[in-house]
Amino acid sequence: MKRYLFKRILTGILVVAFSVMFNFAIIRLAPGNPTRRLAGKDNPNPATIAALTEKYGLDKPIAEQFVLYVKQLLHGDLGYSYVSTAKVSDLIKSRVAPTLMIALTGAIFGLVIGTLLGVFAARKRGRKIDTFLCSISYLFDSTPSFWLGLMMILLFSSVLDWFPTSGMYSLRVNAVGFARFLDLLKHMALPVTTLVLIDIPYYFRIARSSVLQTMSEDFIMTLRATGMSERKIFNKYVMRNAIIPTVTVFGITLAYMITGVAMIEIIFAWPGMGRLMLESITNRDYPTLSAIYLLLSTSVAVMMIVVDIVYAWIDPRIRVE
Amino acid sequence: MEKKRMGKLQKIWITLKNNAQLRIGLLLLIILLLIAVFGPVFAPYNPKRLNDDLLAAPCAKYLFGTDKLGHDVFSQILCGAATSLKIGFIAAMISAVIGVIFGGVAGFFGGVIDQIFSEIMNIFLMLPTFFLILLIIATFGSSMLNVMIVIGLTSWVGNARLMRAQAKAIKERTFIKSSIAMGESKFSILVRHVIPNGIFPIIANTTMNISGAILTEAGLSFLGLGDPNVISWGQIITAGKGDLPKAWWISTFPGIMTIFTVLTFFLIGEGLNRVLSPKMDAKK
Repeated sequence: MKRYLFKRILTGILVVAFSVMFNFAIIRLAPGNPTRRLAGKDNPNPATIAALTEKYGLDKPIAEQFVLYVKQLLHGDLGYSYVSTAKVSDLIKSRVAPTLMIALTGAIFGLVIGTLLGVFAARKRGRKIDTFLCSISYLFDSTPSFWLGLMMILLFSSVLDWFPTSGMYSLRVNAVGFARFLDLLKHMALPVTTLVLIDIPYYFRIARSSVLQTMSEDFIMTLRATGMSERKIFNKYVMRNAIIPTVTVFGITLAYMITGVAMIEIIFAWPGMGRLMLESITNRDYPTLSAIYLLLSTSVAVMMIVVDIVYAWIDPRIRVE
Repeated sequence: MEKKRMGKLQKIWITLKNNAQLRIGLLLLIILLLIAVFGPVFAPYNPKRLNDDLLAAPCAKYLFGTDKLGHDVFSQILCGAATSLKIGFIAAMISAVIGVIFGGVAGFFGGVIDQIFSEIMNIFLMLPTFFLILLIIATFGSSMLNVMIVIGLTSWVGNARLMRAQAKAIKERTFIKSSIAMGESKFSILVRHVIPNGIFPIIANTTMNISGAILTEAGLSFLGLGDPNVISWGQIITAGKGDLPKAWWISTFPGIMTIFTVLTFFLIGEGLNRVLSPKMDAKK
């Protein structure tokens, strides 16, 4: 187990190293000259360009720039945005909380509903309700999340007028306390529902197939032969084995949380990471984009290792190996 | 000879009869291919033509309405079919080829090569693919070719892992051992025996990858990273986003088409997987 973990951590470090190098390369290889962008005019003053070049260290040799870049990263400095000249880390910090708010809520609801439905469908395997749930899950699996978001707005905001279309709080109402919280919930309803609908099929399919897989194992047959009640077999033996893959998927979802809901955030104009991403793409703000990427790949690498540890903790078979 | 051929056809027929996913998937695929090939011929308007009626609701003249510039949405959708399919097929093919070669070499040669290759696969597995694609496309331009290549280059790991497992299993079989004994070169064994015998799971996975690539392209288009020179469904959806409350038809129809297309390849992939592992089916 120790050796396995060591290997995983090594891979994680390699991934982060790759991302750092990749990031460095992409900012340098990006077309166009960032200094011209920062100068912000069609015909910038050469003195401005020179000053900016020096300020961002773009006149130094590539190797030196790389060392500088890594040093900055180690100090937690992700660089400055080309557009707003704010610190990228500050930009991200200001956006991450709203994102986590809907991403976490959505992930938890998706996990619970999807898994329950999956287990239910597996128990009713082959019946009409199972076929129906499977078909629906295919359908939502094939749906682009942003399109589903648009349709939710169309139905629940434009036609029915139940929920607001965008933002986090109503701009004209300056509610405080509980009323403000209610306002927030109202604004969260549509993005979270969209996210849950998109997430459910994953958990559904994984729960359903791993329950079926476990039920077809020989040891279940043996338990049946001993005359143990079907219910006890299911609750005590099938579920315990079948839940393991779900843990992995949930862990990976958590890892992708900071950007995973970007599309939905953009549709609902949620002031989170998705908006930041879109703004950075439209403005070709490479430092911000690559900082988000770096953050994301680090979080994925760390989460995958955590998932492995949790995995070994719930499944002793892996520990022994 | 005739009888043998009949046998094969019959086998395919029985497989299709017992496998609803594959049956429906193939039917949908045929419809899609027809739309992609003949769509531009039947399109009532030139998809890039700016008609006089702006934001016209669906009617006999404009089947799916028009957008705010007067493009006929129905014609645009017909012409966009080829874009989605092309991106899906080519990106999935690139990822299949890389995956098969990479996984085949790793599994067949084993040893140090396998260790190095597996480590590379582990790294790629941990990379956040969609954001990586987005970053590359945002930096190097959003031509369709770029989109296809980048999707292909980032989605091959699944194929490589499948192929590696296949190659590892197949190389232990007697016919490979006898080929080695007969002095056939390792490379030739890999290409002529190992890969053809282990390709089936990769075909199933590649079908799924087509779905993934189409969804990725739609997502990129939505973020404004679609190829501005081609018509794609994702771009039509994005174009209609601003007019959503008053002109629902612009975004709705291309979205339905996207779902329909992605679903087609999901179903075929699932169906092929079921043919592959009949165990899960046995009880039904």
